[in-house]
Amino acid sequence: MNKFAAILYDSLLEVRDRKISYLYWLVAGVVALAIAFIPNFKINNVDLLESGMVSPEIFQKATATFFDGLIGFMIFLMVFGSAGLIPSFLGRGRVELTLSKPIDRYRLLAMKFASIYIIMCAILTITMTIIWLVLSIRFGVFSWHFFAGLAYAYVQFFAVYCIVFLLGVASHSTVVGIMGYFIIRVATDLLAGRKVVYELLGDSVWKKILDGLYHILPKIGEMSANYAPLMEGKGLDQTYPLYSTLGISVVLFLLALLIFSRRDY
Amino acid sequence: MTDTAAIKTTNLAKRFWGGFRNKDVLALSDVSLEVHSGEIFALLGPNGAGKTTLMKILLGSLRPTAGAATINGHDCGRWEARRKAGFLPENHRFPSYLTGLQLLYVFGGMSGMSRREIKPKADSLLELVSMSKWRKTKIKKYSKGMMQRLGLAQALLNDPDLVFLDEPTDGVDPIGRREIRNILLDLKRQGKTIFLNSHLLAEVESVCDRVAILDKGKLIKVGSVGSLIEVKPYYWVETYDLPSEAAKKVRAAFDEAQIENNTIKVGFKDGRTINALIDLLRQNNVDIASVKPISVSLEDSFMQLIRPEATGE
Repeated sequence: MNKFAAILYDSLLEVRDRKISYLYWLVAGVVALAIAFIPNFKINNVDLLESGMVSPEIFQKATATFFDGLIGFMIFLMVFGSAGLIPSFLGRGRVELTLSKPIDRYRLLAMKFASIYIIMCAILTITMTIIWLVLSIRFGVFSWHFFAGLAYAYVQFFAVYCIVFLLGVASHSTVVGIMGYFIIRVATDLLAGRKVVYELLGDSVWKKILDGLYHILPKIGEMSANYAPLMEGKGLDQTYPLYSTLGISVVLFLLALLIFSRRDY
Repeated sequence: MTDTAAIKTTNLAKRFWGGFRNKDVLALSDVSLEVHSGEIFALLGPNGAGKTTLMKILLGSLRPTAGAATINGHDCGRWEARRKAGFLPENHRFPSYLTGLQLLYVFGGMSGMSRREIKPKADSLLELVSMSKWRKTKIKKYSKGMMQRLGLAQALLNDPDLVFLDEPTDGVDPIGRREIRNILLDLKRQGKTIFLNSHLLAEVESVCDRVAILDKGKLIKVGSVGSLIEVKPYYWVETYDLPSEAAKKVRAAFDEAQIENNTIKVGFKDGRTINALIDLLRQNNVDIASVKPISVSLEDSFMQLIRPEATGE
């Protein structure tokens, strides 16, 4: 058992104890059952899919929209599920013992991040794949582009978790992690529509401030716009929100490591 | 030149920021000490003396404000210093979702041990601390004493050369305390170095080679337990009947003699021994009932160093 395996094992047992995955199984179960038992799409007893009235492309578009919303909801749950794990790891009486182990502080925290990230992504993968499989079998249409969307969800969750991670390391508080994330999320969604506000702002300084804020904050909401095109097989629709968010997330991640490496426990 | 000190601190200081309203707290000031390989070394001091702060600096949880500290020649801020170290923290909160055995797997793994190495070692250590029966029970169900025992097993898991124990017998019953004391002595026989923080002075006295006394962040004294509790040549001499004439002679011969009823408390400064007093009493036909040396415990010595006004000496 190497050091990373030990940290992964610990995180896995904590996630299991907190029953974080239960909600995912519940959502996956309810959605899968709903899909399995919904009737075929028929008009005058004619099956729309079988008759070709609804083309596989339209069906794919509909499922892409469905998964777009579902993945967004799952990531929303993942924020709640994972936000408490870092403050718990840094809790008094536990962190001193962890720091006494022969692991460099940067590596220790990076490994903890990676372990939580892997576990959360694994839960997301299992639940979403089950739903996709039920949907595909039920309607006989296997849209493999779904996995591009799933891979993109890993990237989006990386960005989301970097925010929660930094706030958790800095504040040692689950609540601050969750609230901070949602404040940033709402702020960036509002900033994405800042051009509407420009009409009201005569002062160019405010425009620069809003523009600056838009560019330095992670654009989680705008990233979501890529799910549907990806799952329809069209590729990325907007690249700037993705690349800038990834860059900012890496900075947030490194900042969290820096804080951890310098702080007294 | 080879540095044989397992732990060495030089002018170590730690200042905690007190916030915007309060003054900074100087938890450690100019602490220089050496702990030699193979000894049991105890750090004593009242609450808030800086004992835990010193231990945390040595183990890399805290960074010193000034000075330096090394473990086996490595700067204590570097992870290499902790490669062969074990630690039982005070007020630990082990993850309650783990069982005793899982805790050993997690922290053993973090020490770089393989699962194959951990298994037999964990079994024997759980047996040693009498926790085998509870190995698969979640820690949340453990009592304080059980957690302390598990913590000790955890501290010894990676076969450390240097073991840091912060209040190891805290919450442990007398039987457990004796078991822990025996474990410490056994570790010493194996050549391990033990750095101990404890409030239980009788316990320290019985197992430690050397002690350091800290008060308000400053090192007051470092020395062997023997040097701190050196038996002062004081005796209680009880007689069946002490006539006033004989009492006068005793007072004249021994300046420090305190006489109450038939009992004499006397100290010897100038090389004379109790025999001189006994001879004097016998020459005056005084029958001696008993002679008792007054021994000084580590606790007495500690109190005298920390709070001399409280001891009245």
